[in-house]
Parts: sequence; C-alpha cells; structure tokens
Amino acid sequence: MLTKALVIILLFATGLGFLPMENSIRAERTRLKYQGARVTYELREALGQNLAIALLAGLRGVVADFLWLQGHTFWEKREWLRQYRDIEIVVTLQPQSVLFWDLGQWHMAWNIGYGARSDPNNRTQAEGIKREREWHRKARDFLQRGIENIPNRYDLYFMMGMLYYEKFSRDCDEPPCRDAFCKAAEYFARAASFTNAPQFVARMYPRALEQCGETEAAYAQWRLLWFQDHNKVQQAWNIIEREIRQLEDKLKIPDNQRVFPKNKPPS
Amino acid sequence: MTELANHRGETTPSPTEVQTPRPAFAPVLKERVGFSVSRVWIIAGNTLTEAVRQKVFNFFLIIGLIFIASASFFAQFTFGEQLKFIKDTCLGVISVISTLIAIVGTAQLLPSEVENRTIYTILAKPVRRIEFLLGKFLGSLSLLTISIAAMCLLFGAVLFIKEQGMIRELRQEFTQGMPASDMADLNQQIRQVPQETFDVNLVKAVLAELMKATLVAAITLLISTFSTSLVFNVAVPFMIFVAGMLRGAAAEVWADRRILMALLAVVPDFGFFSLADEINMGNVVPWSHVGQILVYGVARTVVIVFAAHLIFSRREI
Amino acid sequence: MDAIRTEDLTKKYELGWHKGRLLALDKLNLRVHEGEVYGLLGPNGSGKSTTLKLILDLILPTEGSAWVFDVPCRKVSSRLHVGFLPENPYFYRYLTGTETLEFFGKLCGMGGVGLRRRIEELLELVGLQHARNRRLGGYSKGMLQRIGLAQALIHDPKLLLLDEPTAGVDPIGSKDIRDLILRLKGMGKTVLLSSHLLAQVQDVCDRIGVLNLGQLIMEGDVKTLISDQRRLSITVQDLPEAARTRVEEAVRAAGATVISVDHPQTSLESLFLDALKRDQRGAGQHD
Repeated sequence: MLTKALVIILLFATGLGFLPMENSIRAERTRLKYQGARVTYELREALGQNLAIALLAGLRGVVADFLWLQGHTFWEKREWLRQYRDIEIVVTLQPQSVLFWDLGQWHMAWNIGYGARSDPNNRTQAEGIKREREWHRKARDFLQRGIENIPNRYDLYFMMGMLYYEKFSRDCDEPPCRDAFCKAAEYFARAASFTNAPQFVARMYPRALEQCGETEAAYAQWRLLWFQDHNKVQQAWNIIEREIRQLEDKLKIPDNQRVFPKNKPPS
Repeated sequence: MTELANHRGETTPSPTEVQTPRPAFAPVLKERVGFSVSRVWIIAGNTLTEAVRQKVFNFFLIIGLIFIASASFFAQFTFGEQLKFIKDTCLGVISVISTLIAIVGTAQLLPSEVENRTIYTILAKPVRRIEFLLGKFLGSLSLLTISIAAMCLLFGAVLFIKEQGMIRELRQEFTQGMPASDMADLNQQIRQVPQETFDVNLVKAVLAELMKATLVAAITLLISTFSTSLVFNVAVPFMIFVAGMLRGAAAEVWADRRILMALLAVVPDFGFFSLADEINMGNVVPWSHVGQILVYGVARTVVIVFAAHLIFSRREI
Repeated sequence: MDAIRTEDLTKKYELGWHKGRLLALDKLNLRVHEGEVYGLLGPNGSGKSTTLKLILDLILPTEGSAWVFDVPCRKVSSRLHVGFLPENPYFYRYLTGTETLEFFGKLCGMGGVGLRRRIEELLELVGLQHARNRRLGGYSKGMLQRIGLAQALIHDPKLLLLDEPTAGVDPIGSKDIRDLILRLKGMGKTVLLSSHLLAQVQDVCDRIGVLNLGQLIMEGDVKTLISDQRRLSITVQDLPEAARTRVEEAVRAAGATVISVDHPQTSLESLFLDALKRDQRGAGQHD
C-alpha cells in the first residue's frame, strides 16, 4: 500500500516536473504551425461521431483524406455545395496542406464555377456567368486564406497568379481585364522569388506583365532570365529567346542594344 | 549391488552404492550477483520468441499489412493526392497497429507469467526482479520494432510501385518533335517524383510513432505490475492513451485551471508524437523538434518503468 | 553450515479491507543440514509452499529471517546454489526441451560448449533425450516434471527445493523421481521436499518436519519417529506350523505379548511395478 502511494506521488511529482518541457514543445509546435484548428463542437458535429473519434486518435490526415474523397464523390454527382462544405472542413483540419488549398480553389474556380455557369437550371446566360464569377471570388478568398496560413511556399502564390491570369482576366465587361493581369503579375513575382520555384513560374511573371501593359518591364524581366548562368540554371531557353526577340521587335529596340540582333539566327 | 530390505520386505538401492553421474561441467558461478545486461537480453529474447510464436500478433500484423497494401487504390486522383493518401493511410495504420500491439502485447506479459507460474522458476534463479521486468519490457519493444519495420517495408514497397508507375506515365508523355522547353519541364517533373515520394522526413514520423508505442507499452507494463486482470490491463492503458491524445485540446480549453492541468500532467501528451500529418503536408519538421519529443518520450518512459520496478520489486508472487 | 536456517519466520497475508490478516506461518525455526533430504509435510494450507516461497524471496516475511548457506534469502546471491521445482510446473509451451534448459542455463550465467554438454547430461539423467526437440506443449505431466527437475539442476546447485515433486505423476514416474532424489543425495546435495504423499516421503527422507496451521508441530529423524520401540518384528521363512505355536508360547513365557501373527505384505506400488516388469520380460521372450 505504501509502495503504491509512493508511486502515485512519484508519477504526479514527475508529471509536474515535465510541464516546462511540455510547454516548450507546445510553443515550438505553435511556432511551426502544427495540428490545425481546435476540435470545436461545430467541427465535431460536421464530422460525425466516427470521424471525430478518428480525429481524436491522432488520425487527422486520414480524416481529412476521407473527407476529400467524399468531396470528390460529391463532385462526380455535381453536388457542389456539399463538396464545398467538405473542402472547407478539410482545410480546417489541415490548414498547412498546400495540396488541399491548391486543389480546393481549383475545384471552386474551374470545376464548380464551370458547373454553375452551365447549369441547365440557370434562367439566363447572364445568371450562369454571374454564378461562375461568384465561385471565382470564393476561390480567390479561399486561396487568400491559404496564403495567410502558408506564406512561405511558392505554390499558392503561383495558383493565385493563375487564378487571376486565367479566370479573373475574363471577369469584366470587356475582357481581357488588364487589372487582373497586373494582379497576376504581382503574385507570379512573389512566387518566382522563392528559390525552389520551378522554371515555368519565373516565365509567367513577364508574360503577365506584358498582358498588364507593362511591356518594357516584361522585356527587362525576360532579359534578366536570359542572362542567368545557362550551365547552372534549368530553363526553357528557346522560349525565353523567342519572347525576347518578339518584344525587341515590338519595342523597336536598336540592333546594337538587342540581346538578339536581327541578323543573329535563333539558337 | 547390495540392496537393503525395509520392514515390508521392499528393497531400495543403498545410497552409497548408487552409480551417480558426475557432471562433466561444474559451472563456476560468481558469488556476487550484480545487475546483468545479458540476463535482461536473454529474457527479452525469450519474450520476443513467445510473442512471435503466438498467433495473435501475427494477426495484428497481417491486418496492418493488408491495410497498407490497400492504400494504393486511388488511381483516379492526381499524383500528389495519391501520395498523400498512401502516406496518411500507411502511417495511420502503423500508428493504430503499433498502439494495439503495445497495449495487448504488454498487457499479458506479467499476468501470464504469474498465472502460468513460469515466473517462479525464473525468479528462483539468481535473477533480479528489475532484470526480469526490463527483459520483458525490452522483449515487448523488440516485437514493436519488428512489427513497425515490417509495416514500413511494405509501405516503402507501395511507395516504390507508385513512384515507378508515375514515372512510366510521365515518360509516356514524351512525343516525337516535342519542344525542348516541354521536354525540360517533363524531365524536371520526372526528377521531382522520387523526391516527393521518398521524403526522408518519413523516418521522423516513424521514429515518433515508435516512441509513442514505447510509452504506451511502458504504461501498460506499469498497470500490469499490480493488476492481474487482462481486461483491466488493456482498458486502463487505452483510456490513458485517449486522455493523453486529448491533453493538447485540454491545454487550450482549460489553460487557466491550473490545478486541473497539474493533475492531468501525470498523463503524457501523446499528441506530440503525431508528426505524420505535418510531414505529409510538407511542413518543416526540424530534427531539433524530433529530438525534443524523443527526449520527452524517453524521459517519461524511464520514470514509468522505474515506477513499475518499485511496485514489482515489492510484489508478492 | 546449515543449508537452510530460519529464525522466527512469520508470514501474515492481508485479507483485504477490514478483514484482518491470515497467519500462514507462525515463527518457524527450521534447520536443514547440508547433505540431508528433509521432508516438509503437512496438509493443504499448512504453510509448506509459503515456507518455500519465503526461502526463494518470492514473498516477503512479516517477521523473522531465513538464510541459505548463511546468505540472507533477501539477497539474489542466496539463489546461486538453489534449484527449485515448483508444484505442477509449467514452462513456456513454445520452447523445446533443449531450448528450455538453454534458457535457464543462460540465466544462471552458463553458456557455450559447457552449457550444451550440461544439457545433454541432464536430458540423459531425466530420460528425455528422445523429446529434446519437442515443444513442451506436447509433453505429458510426467515429462514436464522431469524437465522441471532438469532445469532445477542445470547449474548444479547444492540445494534443491522440490514442491510436491511426485504430485500427479504415475507410479513409475514417482519411483524414478525418488531414485533421482537418492542419487542427488549421494552426490552430496541437500534436498528440501514438501509433500503430502506420506508413503513416498518416508522412503527418501532423512528427517521430516510436520507443519499444521503454520506451526512446526513435529520434527525428527524418520526412522526414529516411525519406529515403535516397544514392539519387535521378526520375519521368518519356512517355519513349520507346529514350530509357530512353540514360538508364540516362548514369547508369552518371556512376559511379552503376541500382537499379531500374519504374512508380511508387499506394497501395492511394488506389486504394480513388478507386474509391469514381468510383462516386459514376457514380451522379450516372444521376440
């Protein structure tokens, strides 16, 4: 009896002794943004009992994947609001997942948006277009939250750029909407500033600048890309050369200032 | 041989006349019996052999392997999605199965020895109780490690098959006369496939799961030092595990209730060991953080095993 | 030096909340001399197993102390020279005979060629060579008892504690175990055996102690204790009936009383064993 009492005291005393270590670990986890949102009553209601239990057992990723699969099923059945609800729960569970933010906005802007526009229940074509544009905005706001959660990766900045470049560029009375391309250029520049961004990300920036009307800035950017070390950097040099040649003609750059003088054959 | 007759006329061999075999080897045993690591390992090896030859753990393992193998059935999704599903499912299975093995495998270690009385013959030898306890615990850990390693091997095989499939699909996109830039992009994607598939950070997730299972096994060992009921020895550690998983949420909700939080501190925070989600999302998991939680896990385990030793050393067999 | 010595060894078991304590052993003062076979007798619940467990430090004494070869029983080193065969021994079912002995040998610090040779000797001694590679789950009760003896002897201990060594064993097995105990005594070993099968104990023990309700109520040399000094038994052979009457008259004339005149009886055990032996010899003659 005495031994058991001593053991209980030992366990409680050492438990208290571990508190500083635990607080330190929790602080580190908060700094690293681990574990997603709190398991609130609303979340538990949205998940249902079984998924809530799995969540509490530490299977957060599995629960999120299950809901994502469920959302995919809703997409196939064209039950977009249900899919949208599942997407929102998934990013609540795993707000640090680039994949879910990326594909979530893709579903909203590309799939659900198109589905809303082509819905046979639309009374007019204008109604369809209006619904599609609402989904574009939803996707943008969704992606913006994603960027706030994951500001240190190129992926979501690039996807935001693509959203503006491909979708918002047509969401105005007289497309193409120049402002959208300018916005896209901002996001492409931010994405390209990450050292691990793929080569095509860097190429989208000057493209968007050109569409934005900033032709000279676009040309300057293409030149910057061209004058990187060809031995160290993986790039589509032929594309860059083609773009520079076109812009040099468009901007009527004097031959002696060109990267590619007129009499120089393409490489 | 002369035989003596007793009063009933029966004969028994005279002790002095019996041919007694002298042992060819007379062991030289040290008079002082210190703590012996080799005795611990002998008992650990015996415990592992018993677990392996029992079918119940094979059953758990086979279930785990089936789930892991089934993780590859998501062909209609993007490569990124498929990889995430596989990694989440496989690491989730490893987590659940290893926790089950830790509880069920350890729960019956001591009670079955006492019930079957095999413990008498062992402790009647010059074996310290701490050696016996550590040996049983390390045997259980060996089973855990082997089980996790087996599941990881299959996990690796599934990833490899997925990786090769993806590379094959990408290579099929190469066409005659394809622009050089497209080829460069495609080659870059192909190069990225192994990097995304075999993320070395997965090792961190597995280490964390092994540490979690070790801690669960230690708690089960502690309970089994004073309880003889198998149901109790399984149910209580499971409840402690659930309480430990909820500690993180409790810390957020009840941060201002100091006494309650102090009482809850007796239960380890198992949420610390759930690194799989972060790794599969591509989050940074520094080795310093992994080291922190491993130190925490080892320290907690040592305290719990010491507590188990205090009880077991005074337990009447 | 005594092989076992206890001083006021007492054990009280807690019966639970407000239920008091059970006195299992009451101030036991026991001395087992080196080289003797000592029988600890008593009915069920008399304290025999408690005594063995206290000597082996499996349970803690409430009062008093015990020593094995002058080493306190609470020390691990007291078990260096002790071999123990528990009642109804149960070993790891999944281990073979050889693996079992290897396991216990290694626990005693043995290994290598020496251990392997020792295992072979013991398997031969207990007659289990044919079952060395069979898992213990497939052993009969008698075989388990024999492998139990072998593991108790693995490290060649000076003292053997045998708890009900012949319980549940057939007559042939019982005889083998008794013969083995005598052999061990011939090797200079000390044996403390606890049993409630009195006839079997009588044949092997030098001294006995009788426990009842935790107390040692009788102790002494077997032959002295069981012999009735007042009576004399003379066994004769081929005595004619007429001479028998004259012998009886001579006894009465000497002032003694004839208590009984009958034919000596063999034991049922001897009868059984002889019958089996004859049966085997009969089988041999037919070959």
